[in-house]
Amino acid sequence: MIDFARVQKELVECSKDSEGSGIKVSPKSDDLVQLFGTIPGPVGTPYEGGIFQIDITLPEGYPFEPPKMQFKTKVWHPNISSQSGAICLDILKDQWSPALTLKTALLSVQALLSAPQPDDPQDAVVAQQYLKDYQTFVSTARYWTESFAKASTRGIEDKVQKLVEMGFPEAQVRNILEAVGGDENLALERLL
Amino acid sequence: MEDYASSDEDYHYDSDQDDSVEAYENDEDYALLSSKGPTTKVITKESLLVAQKEDLRRVMEMLSVREQHARTLLIYHRWDVEKLFAVYVDKGKAFLFGEAGVSVDQHPDSDSSVPSTVMCYICMEDVARVETTRMDCGHCFCNSCWIEHFIVKINEGQSKRIRCMQHKCNSICDEAVVRTLLSRKHPGMAEKYERFLLESYIEDNKRVKWCPSTPHCGNAIRVEDDELCEVECSCGLQFCFRCLSEAHSPCSCLMWELWAKKCRDESETVNWITVHTKPCPKCHKPVEKNGGCNLVSCICGQAFCWLCGGATGREHTWSSIAGHSCGRYKEQEKSAERAKRDLYRYMHYHNRYKAHTDSFKIESKLKETIQGKIAISEEKDSTLRDYSWVNNGLSRLFRSRRVLSYSYAFAFYMFGDELFKEEMTDAQREIKQNLFEDQQQQLEANVEKLSKILEEPFETFSDDKVVEIRMQILTLSTIIDKLCQKMYECIENDLLGSLHLGIHSIAPYKSKGIERASELSVCWNNKVNTGVTAELDRPSGSGSSDDNGCSSRKRARKDGLGGGFFDLNLPAEFIDRN
Ligand SMILES: [Zn+2]
Ligand SMILES: [Zn+2]
Ligand SMILES: [Zn+2]
Ligand SMILES: [Zn+2]
Ligand SMILES: [Zn+2]
Ligand SMILES: [Zn+2]
Ligand SMILES: [Zn+2]
Repeated sequence: MIDFARVQKELVECSKDSEGSGIKVSPKSDDLVQLFGTIPGPVGTPYEGGIFQIDITLPEGYPFEPPKMQFKTKVWHPNISSQSGAICLDILKDQWSPALTLKTALLSVQALLSAPQPDDPQDAVVAQQYLKDYQTFVSTARYWTESFAKASTRGIEDKVQKLVEMGFPEAQVRNILEAVGGDENLALERLL
Repeated sequence: MEDYASSDEDYHYDSDQDDSVEAYENDEDYALLSSKGPTTKVITKESLLVAQKEDLRRVMEMLSVREQHARTLLIYHRWDVEKLFAVYVDKGKAFLFGEAGVSVDQHPDSDSSVPSTVMCYICMEDVARVETTRMDCGHCFCNSCWIEHFIVKINEGQSKRIRCMQHKCNSICDEAVVRTLLSRKHPGMAEKYERFLLESYIEDNKRVKWCPSTPHCGNAIRVEDDELCEVECSCGLQFCFRCLSEAHSPCSCLMWELWAKKCRDESETVNWITVHTKPCPKCHKPVEKNGGCNLVSCICGQAFCWLCGGATGREHTWSSIAGHSCGRYKEQEKSAERAKRDLYRYMHYHNRYKAHTDSFKIESKLKETIQGKIAISEEKDSTLRDYSWVNNGLSRLFRSRRVLSYSYAFAFYMFGDELFKEEMTDAQREIKQNLFEDQQQQLEANVEKLSKILEEPFETFSDDKVVEIRMQILTLSTIIDKLCQKMYECIENDLLGSLHLGIHSIAPYKSKGIERASELSVCWNNKVNTGVTAELDRPSGSGSSDDNGCSSRKRARKDGLGGGFFDLNLPAEFIDRN
C-alpha cells in the first residue's frame, strides 16, 4: 500500500522551496499514483535552459520501493534512453532508500545531467559518442535541448492565449498550466 | 561398509590354500581402517542449525561478537571461515566489519532529556519514542516503517542482507531486531526470514549443496575439503558434488554434460536416417545407400541421385551421372562422408556405454536371486557359514560396471576432435589411446568373468567347489579393484594431466564405491506446533563441545516474542536465566 500521507507531505514540502531548486512535483491524477516532475537543465551543461519533464509512477510499496521515473522530454544523454526516456540511476534501483524522497530523487537525476557516467550507459549510441567525439555529443545534446526541452516554454503563451479565449481567467490558466507542466489537455481538465 | 565388518570372523574352515585370500581380505580391512570414514555429511532440515553452529562459534570466539554479527560476517564471506579470518588478519577488524555491514558501536539510546516523540523521516510523522527503533548504526525510525521495509526486502528475497533504511548506510539490520519487530504482527514473515537466514548456510556456501533428488528429499550435503567428489545422500541418490548430475567418473563434468546432451539429442538418430536413407523420388520408400557411388536405385526400379534425391537414368561413372548435373557432387560427398564417420564413431562408443549400463540394470536384479541362493546355502549342513563374499563380489561388479560404462563416454571425448584437437598430435593421440584401451579391455574382460561366476548356482555346489568359487571371486574382485584404480590414475596423470586445459579433472576413485554421507549427530527435539522446525538443545555461544552435546536441557523460548517461533540468537546466559 502506498503511503499517501507521506506523498501528500512530500508534495507540500516540495512546493515550498520549488522557487530555489526549480524542481517541481505535481500529481497527474487524483489517485497520487501517477505524478510528474520537472527539473531545469543544470547551468553550464548542454541541458542549460531546458525544462525536462519526468513521468513518475509510484509502486505499491512506496516509499519502501523506489519510484519509477522516466523522461517524458526527449534528452540526449549517455544514461538516459534517447528512445524511451528510461533512466539508468542506482538510487532508482538497488541503492534506493526509503529515506530518499521524490525531490531528492529528482535532484539526483538533475545531478546525473551534469555528470554523465558513460561506463554504465543506458544508451550505448550516446555513450559511444560521448567517449569518442565529445564535441559532437555536446552539440547534439544542446540541439535536443533546444528542440524538445524548450518547446513547451515557447509554446506556453500560445496555450495561455487559447485557454483565455475559451473564457478562463488568465492568472488561473497560468497557474494550472505551470502545475501540469504545460500540458494543455490536462490543464483544460483541471479548469473544467 | 557393513559388508566388510564381519570379514575377520569367517576363517573357520581350513586354509593353506586360503592364505592369499586372507591377504586380500585383510587388505580391504586395512584400507577401511586407514580411511577416516565418511567426511561428507548429510544435513537435514533438523540438523541445519547445528551444522552451522560450529562455524558461528568459531567466529564468535575469535572476534568476540554476538551470533547475529558472526552470521552477517559469514554470509558476507559465503561461509568461508578461513577467508574471513584472513581478511581479519590482513585488514583488521574495522575493515572486516565495515565491509560486511556490521556495526557494533553502541549508540546511547534513551537520553532522558530528549522529547518523548520524534519525527520519523520515512513516514514523516511524529511518533512516540517507544514506537521507534534505533539500529546498531545509530539510525532511528519508527517501528511500522522498519516493519514495512523488512517485509519488502524479505519478499524481494534479500533476507540475508537487509540494509538499514538510511540512504548510503551500509549497515545490516540486526537479525534479533528484525525478528522481534516482525513477530508481533507478521509471524509468517518472521518464519520466512528465519528460513532464508538458516538456508544461507546451504545457498551461499561452496562446501554445501542441496541434494539434487526429485522430488527433493529435503537434505543438503556438506563436503569437508574437496569439492571434486561423488557422494551418496541418505535418500540413496548418488551424485557428482560438483555438477550435481549423476555420478559420472571417470568422465569430467564437462565431458559428462556434453555426453548426456549428445545422448539426449535425437538429432543423432535423425542424422543417422538422413545419412543412411533417402526417399525414392517415385515411390517415396526410404532407400538405403550401400557404399559406392552416388547413384542409388530403389526396389521399384527407379534410379536416383543420392545427393539431391532427383530421379536420373542409370548410366553413370564414379563422379557423374549421365544427363544429370546437380553441382553438389564432390563437396557433398566429403561432408556426407565426414558426418557418417563422426556418427559411426559416436555409435561405437555409445553402444559400449549402453551395453554396460544395460548390464548394470540386469545385474541389479541378480542381487535378489543371489540373496535367495545365499539363504539356501545357509540352510545347508555345511561348515561354510559366511557368504558375505558373494555380496562383496556383487558390489564390486556393480561399481566396476559403472566405471566401465562411463569410461566409454570419457574415451569418446578424450580421443575425439571436439575437446582436445589442438592439444595433441595424431601420433600422441594414438599412443594415449592404445594405452587407455589396453587397460579398458583388461578391465572389461575381468568384469565379464566376474559377472559369469556370480551367476553360477553355487547353492548346489559341494563345499570344496564353493571354496574354490569364493577364491575366484575374491581374486577377481581384487584384480578389478586394482585395474579400476589404475585406470583412474592413467586418466588423471597420463591423459588429462598432460593437457594444458585445466578444466578437466575427475573425482578420485574410491575402492569401496561412492561414499555415503553420514548424518550429522544432532540432538534435537522436533516441535511441530511451534511452526518452526526445531529447537536446539545445546546453548549456543557457550563454546563447550561436550562430545555430541546431548544434554536434557531444553532451550526455552522467549515468551516476550509472542509469536510462534524461536529465537536462534539468544545468548546462553539469557537461556540460563529463564
Ligand atoms: Zn515511520
Ligand atoms: Zn544505518
Ligand atoms: Zn537426497
Ligand atoms: Zn560432475
Ligand atoms: Zn521406389
Ligand atoms: Zn555405380
Ligand atoms: Zn544430383
